[in-house]
Amino acid sequence: MLEGKLKNIAQEARKLIIEVACRAKTPHIGSSLSCVDLLVALYFYELKVDPKNWKQRDIFVLSKAHAELALYTILTIKGIMSRKKLINYFQDNGTLPAHLDRITNRGIEVSTGSLGHGFNIALGMAYGYKIKGDKRRVFTLIGDGESEEGSIWEGALFAGKLKIDNFTAIIDYNNLQGYGRPREICYYEPVIDKWKSFGWEICRIDGHNFSQIIKAFKTPHKGKPKIIVADTIKGKGVDFMEDKLKWHYFIVTEELKQKALTCLDEGNHEK
Amino acid sequence: MRNSVIKTIMNYSKRNNKIFFITGDAGYGVLDKYKENFPDRFLNLGVAEQNMISFASGLSLAGYKVFVYNIIPFVLYRCYEQVRNDICYQDLPVTLIGVGSGITYAPQGATHYSVEDIALARTLPNLIILSPSDSVEAEKCAEFSLRCKSPVYIRIAKSGEPIIHKQGIKSISEPIIVNEGSEVGILFHGSIGSEVISALKCLKRTPKVISLPMLQPLNFDFLLSNLEGIHTLITVEEHFIEGGLGSIIEGWVVKNMLNFRVKKLGIKNEFIHAINNPAGMRNLYGISCNKIIRTVEKAFLNFTFKK
Repeated sequence: MLEGKLKNIAQEARKLIIEVACRAKTPHIGSSLSCVDLLVALYFYELKVDPKNWKQRDIFVLSKAHAELALYTILTIKGIMSRKKLINYFQDNGTLPAHLDRITNRGIEVSTGSLGHGFNIALGMAYGYKIKGDKRRVFTLIGDGESEEGSIWEGALFAGKLKIDNFTAIIDYNNLQGYGRPREICYYEPVIDKWKSFGWEICRIDGHNFSQIIKAFKTPHKGKPKIIVADTIKGKGVDFMEDKLKWHYFIVTEELKQKALTCLDEGNHEK
Repeated sequence: MRNSVIKTIMNYSKRNNKIFFITGDAGYGVLDKYKENFPDRFLNLGVAEQNMISFASGLSLAGYKVFVYNIIPFVLYRCYEQVRNDICYQDLPVTLIGVGSGITYAPQGATHYSVEDIALARTLPNLIILSPSDSVEAEKCAEFSLRCKSPVYIRIAKSGEPIIHKQGIKSISEPIIVNEGSEVGILFHGSIGSEVISALKCLKRTPKVISLPMLQPLNFDFLLSNLEGIHTLITVEEHFIEGGLGSIIEGWVVKNMLNFRVKKLGIKNEFIHAINNPAGMRNLYGISCNKIIRTVEKAFLNFTFKK
């Protein structure tokens, strides 16, 4: 039941991403599609985000802010952002920028864009709530390429020490960064061992499998920060985009849009 | 200056439990009392300046009034993008306390000098830049930042600077008239003020002397209203000659087509390789008392300044 519901929302979000991206002619489609399921599970299952109880909401910080389209569409489906705002994304005299601006947009918790910032801000927020005795939890999503930033490891080192157990980071491990695969670019693996040795609770999951995602959310992490390493596919859901580096950059033309939407529909029927 | 800033923040911290103090592994002997009195609102985030600033941003978003303490290169240069994106872009009430202004730490070497910080800080919208000249101004700067809802950068030297304002001051939000005079005006910010005061004692004709602890935003209307009868402005700062107060004043005079001659005294824009103590460095770079005296005397004689 729950999984079916989440799958349907994810399907709606992916189609909306394709449509908006086509209209706006923006890149980073692959980076958005890889984390849709994770964000759907967050916003429609895990996070307390009730517009009526806004002050007590849990916090989600999109640190890999180039997946902004995934966040904008999910906030729209959730009813936190208006459809009008989404449609005017990236338009001249429009509304939403490609990277996040919290000053002008409700629902955006932190302004991010440059990699290796959101993770550390989220950490500070989590620590702030913790010492205040506030029950709010903080989640952040980082990219696999993003976790090459030194600042990520600076934060990782302190989060373990500070025992920030209201903090969960998720790596969208889609295995394709801007110009190659993390493992080819640097000594990326063993990623699990690295985080473990920094004092983090670890979960490794298939980032497109809702029961695994939810199980990871439920994994207790008393006295420790948690990291969920989610193996994902760049461009997930659209066969000609899946695991293709060029979909970090390419634009969805009108023709490709139809092809992508058809592909998403067919994929959904198969399941 | 350092101690008066910390003491002021500490006094407020007793009444306000939302004040949080962060250091990047600096402050031995300076922050000990704060740490002891408020262990739950003090963190040493170690030698990790990027995380330090982003973390401060996060604490601020969670409702804390945050102060970050470090020497200037490690609170502004190393983590410039974090200050830009995480503090200033998001307009958060975080105060950066930078110690070691100018060549305070000479001869530690160029990596530890702060001779371009004003130039850098001026590029940041929303950021209020404060450069107190003594502990009296420093205390007011700390009080200002405690009340301020915007990002603040306080540039201080270290400790033991001579007191300039023996009579006290009302506010640091406007330029402060230190000495009444005519024809020539000396404008300064920061601890170099003590050299200006020493120069004043040796001058036969008295220039007007103004301290500018708040460099951004600068109250130009107030400044102009106090420059009647002045034909020459001499800016004095322990900062690169280009990019700091001198450039601010020069730009203002040109933009508004004001009738002042401007002479800038500051450190030549170059990497400092000379080995000397701070007084020797000031002398070497032409911002010491003697150089100020000669410049003011020339200005009174209405000489043309050579480059």
